[in-house]
Amino acid sequence: MKALLVEDDEALAELLEAALTSQHYQVDRATDGPSGWELAASFEYDLILLDVMLPQLGGIRFCQQLRAQGDRTPILLMTAQDSTTQKVTGLDAGADDYVIKPFETEELLARIRALLRRGNPTSSPVLEWENLRLDPSICEVTCNGQPLRLSAKAYELLELFLRNPHRIFSPSALIEHLWAFEEIPLENTVRTHIKLLRQQLKRAKAGDMIETIYGLGYRLKTTEATNETPTTTEAENKTPITTATANKPPTTAATPDNVSAPQPGPTVAPNQSPKSPNMTAIWQRSKAKYLNRILILEQIVVSLQDGPDDPVLRQQAQQEVHTLKGSLGSFGFTHASHICQQIEQMLRAQASFSQTQIESLSQLISTLRQDLEQPPGSSLAPSTSETGMVPLNSHLLIVADNAQWVEKLTAEAMNWGMQARCMNDLATVKAEIAHTHPDAILLDLSWSDSAENGLELLAEVAIAHPSIPVVILTAQASLANRVRVARLGGQAFLHKPVSPARILAAITQALQHAHPPEAKLMIVDDDAQLLDFLRTLLGPWGFQLTLLNDPQQFWQTLEQCIPDLLILDIEMPELSGIDLCQVVRQAPSWSDLPILFMSSHTDIETIQQVFTVGADDYVNKPILGPELIARILNRLERARILHKLAKIKGRLT
Amino acid sequence: MTQQILIIDDDDGIREVIQAWLEVSGEWEVLSAASGLEGIAIAKASQPDAILLDMVMPDLDGLATFERLQADPGTATIPTILLTAQADVSQQQQLLDLGCAGIIAKPFRGQDLTNQIKVILSG
Repeated sequence: MKALLVEDDEALAELLEAALTSQHYQVDRATDGPSGWELAASFEYDLILLDVMLPQLGGIRFCQQLRAQGDRTPILLMTAQDSTTQKVTGLDAGADDYVIKPFETEELLARIRALLRRGNPTSSPVLEWENLRLDPSICEVTCNGQPLRLSAKAYELLELFLRNPHRIFSPSALIEHLWAFEEIPLENTVRTHIKLLRQQLKRAKAGDMIETIYGLGYRLKTTEATNETPTTTEAENKTPITTATANKPPTTAATPDNVSAPQPGPTVAPNQSPKSPNMTAIWQRSKAKYLNRILILEQIVVSLQDGPDDPVLRQQAQQEVHTLKGSLGSFGFTHASHICQQIEQMLRAQASFSQTQIESLSQLISTLRQDLEQPPGSSLAPSTSETGMVPLNSHLLIVADNAQWVEKLTAEAMNWGMQARCMNDLATVKAEIAHTHPDAILLDLSWSDSAENGLELLAEVAIAHPSIPVVILTAQASLANRVRVARLGGQAFLHKPVSPARILAAITQALQHAHPPEAKLMIVDDDAQLLDFLRTLLGPWGFQLTLLNDPQQFWQTLEQCIPDLLILDIEMPELSGIDLCQVVRQAPSWSDLPILFMSSHTDIETIQQVFTVGADDYVNKPILGPELIARILNRLERARILHKLAKIKGRLT
Repeated sequence: MTQQILIIDDDDGIREVIQAWLEVSGEWEVLSAASGLEGIAIAKASQPDAILLDMVMPDLDGLATFERLQADPGTATIPTILLTAQADVSQQQQLLDLGCAGIIAKPFRGQDLTNQIKVILSG
């Protein structure tokens, strides 16, 4: 735990520092407001002890500023003024507690312990993990009731992990929390301290409670996980419970820095992270309510059919369908959410409904009902706009004439992975669109003398190239204008002045709508931690991931998942990646599937063997994020081109 | 340290979905409120680290709730993220201009929710 002490009375500061250090806190000291502020802004503290009367920047102001920045570090104010107004001002400024000078150090330390507990409402004064107890008030650790002797740093590490049971601490985060400003060590030193802590815990038969998260850092193991994964020396020889651990090579369990992660089971279904809540159970509880909303919707549609249009009913229908759109999608019913969006658009756009329109509304509602009979997440629709990904190097066409502004925007576009070109002559613009088919168009309506030219262009693009999203920029944000743009098919409407970043955010969003994720990746590796890491790495790219750590289930999963790209680890128990690759290549239906290998073997024989059995590419372990992503995108792009070529050939023959 | 987040949404199902995703991430402790008024009361009493506020609610809607939270010094500094099924970027910008910490579009992907919240709150 690390505290920042901002106190101008040096004697008191020294006393407090000694008291805090005796409790294994690291202390950074500042004697005036501004230098305290600088430390608070630069480092992460677990606690700030703040004098109210400080030179230059007072404690109250300090508090307010810190809270205004969203910093929630617990603050304990110290003051000599014992007035209620002072206390109220202090607490209102965002302080968490308040002590009046002079105070007993014991009381201060107790208040600090209480404050540190506050972040974690379930924690008791004593921190516990299975049979291990850490009592911060007397700095004592016991295991099965026996006192445990730990080095000072090991104690501090243990306390930090126990206080933040779910947080992953990178080595640098551990440094921030456990080492004072002037004694910052190398990351290797941190690793050594972790090793020492593990050894000390092991000796006391406390089990290895610290988990290494591949590529990220360390975290306290969850207690359920340790039940599944035996950790004590004698337990290592017993048959582990989960298939995942059974398939691990024995060396993994023996290396302290490579602790097996908690495993829910051998396979992970597509798009289901092992840390996913049980959506089906929640859905079962909520389903009736949503069906009821649909019923209301249905009744309204029926009433539209029978009687004159009722604006109140229509408004209600819009609200129901709006809620359904957001909620069902979040449950994983992407197709249903799309249907709701269609219904919403129809309800908004039409002043009155023809018989055919009412029929199609009813049809949509009945499809919606059918969709909800499936379990959540099994939606038939391949993708939604919300899960879409933006292809790298999207080509953006800017139609505008303010050269200086365009230059700024073009530069910003590069940061967003887009290549922008600007044109301002109508004929050239049309030719450019027809020939290069840009991924998105940004159209500034004030680019030509008349906004009509812009609107005409928009209409043309909407008809001739409906897949190209057009973002409209205008100084006239009247409702009439917005409606016109929307009717003509404009994807987004931005009102000037607007920052380049905002514009590119809108374009990115429009692109996501236009480019739903197409790629399904299946990754087979027996190392669950690596799979976790890959999920974190690849998730944000919008790929649909199927992660498998049991090669025995390979074929079944492959047929379920039908991936666009297969990524295989070479070394796995029983069935190696090479075996799997050969099997895939023997099956005519899978002969085109791109396969990428990962391995820590860099010798020429292995690499040759990999390519001989039919791999398309190869990456070295440890996996470097950008390299892996580049290779995946490359492979997918190539597969897409080959697929297109095959289609064209098919047409020709 | 686990942070506390308050979800204000009239839709029980979606509250439960959000709660489940946030809790499973292990980084949040979740408080929840089924209406704007209940949300304001809980926010005042519990001082959560952040609020997730749905825009469309009966009675006191998200906007009105947000205005009240902003007007009260006891809750004004709590970062509030608005949840909206409104996909129009310009309308989203209008919401951002009101001073909320950020916007999360519905439907959201559960896997992304915690990250989105983290990014918004750290920005």
